[in-house]
Amino acid sequence: MSRAYHGSAARSARGSSDTSLSWVDGCARWAIRHAAHRAPPPLSERLEEEWLADLEARATPASRLLLGLGCCWAAAVIVQESLAPGLTAASTTGNKVMSSYARTDASLLSQRTTALAVIIGLHVALVFAFATGLGSKVIPLLPQALQASVLPQEHFAPPPPPPITGPSLIKPHIKDEFPPPEVKIDVDTGPDVIRDVAPTLEVTRATAPPTPQPINRVQGGPGKGFPNSEDYYPLSAKHLAETGTTVVNVCVDGTGHLTGSPTVARSSGSTRLDDGALKLARAGSGHYRATTENGRPVDACYPLGITFRLRD
Amino acid sequence: MSLQTLRVLEAFLENPTDELAGADVQKRSGLASGTLYPILLRLESAGWFVSRWEAIDPSSAGRPRRRLYRLTPQGLSRATEVFASFSFNRGVPV
Repeated sequence: MSRAYHGSAARSARGSSDTSLSWVDGCARWAIRHAAHRAPPPLSERLEEEWLADLEARATPASRLLLGLGCCWAAAVIVQESLAPGLTAASTTGNKVMSSYARTDASLLSQRTTALAVIIGLHVALVFAFATGLGSKVIPLLPQALQASVLPQEHFAPPPPPPITGPSLIKPHIKDEFPPPEVKIDVDTGPDVIRDVAPTLEVTRATAPPTPQPINRVQGGPGKGFPNSEDYYPLSAKHLAETGTTVVNVCVDGTGHLTGSPTVARSSGSTRLDDGALKLARAGSGHYRATTENGRPVDACYPLGITFRLRD
Repeated sequence: MSLQTLRVLEAFLENPTDELAGADVQKRSGLASGTLYPILLRLESAGWFVSRWEAIDPSSAGRPRRRLYRLTPQGLSRATEVFASFSFNRGVPV
């Protein structure tokens, strides 16, 4: 009777409300039907209709979904209790029995037993592998497998770079013999000609030393058109009757021009005379006689004595 | 007897003559449906409850009929004894 009602009257009663049910409500209904079908056959139709009727009393979708899930749990408990009828009487007469947790399935190959056996087997296999050193035997085989997958890529590998052949380094044979330099200074006592022989530095190497050539050096001095010292005699020094000779160091190029500012090499004792000597040395630029070496004018620095004396 | 079963009985003992559907019992006891319905079936099979379908026309009522549970005289006396043993003050002599 209940199934007949459920197929006709109940559907007609729910006809208007089904259109407004959300997908949550649909899930709850599916769960209730699925749970009721799991119940023993005498209770299956009754529980489905009863639970669907209670579902209509739920207001919110969440409560409906919870009811569907709860019915699934209730069906599982009912199935367990139906397999152990003695538990029902005991639980209602005062003996607390966790019937929902009581496993009455005595099959040795139930899902739980099978899963437990597989887990234990895996653990035993792992412990056995580590205990017997199986891992150390398997690990050396892994590089071979890696080589098999890497070998095809070697065809695309670039050729190895050619060996680097750099220039061969040959240690030069150098005979380092540095004899003491032979310096020969020829001091000429002449007034403005100094014959100087440049110091000769001989470095003997593997080759034969060149034959040294004598250098005739003629020091320069005031040349044609050089100013007269009288014109640069300071008037203050004349009034003070200061006389003397100032030695000025001048650097002159091959054309007779100064290449640097002249400096006082030896003072006359009067700054006024020294200043006059420096002015005279600067004014004579271009009128110096260049120093010559073997007759060829060269740049040279030499002292130049400038004398200031009073005339009667 | 579990605490959940006692809460179901307590819901019925508020007015022992009332017939309650599963949704009503759930509101009174606060139990989850997964716990409630197995207890109802368990007590019914033990003779503490009887149940029947609600006598309505679903088409005219606009809802499906409900399953109503009610305490039997035996269930009422047993439930009263149980609560008396726990010294529950349910308005009955303890």
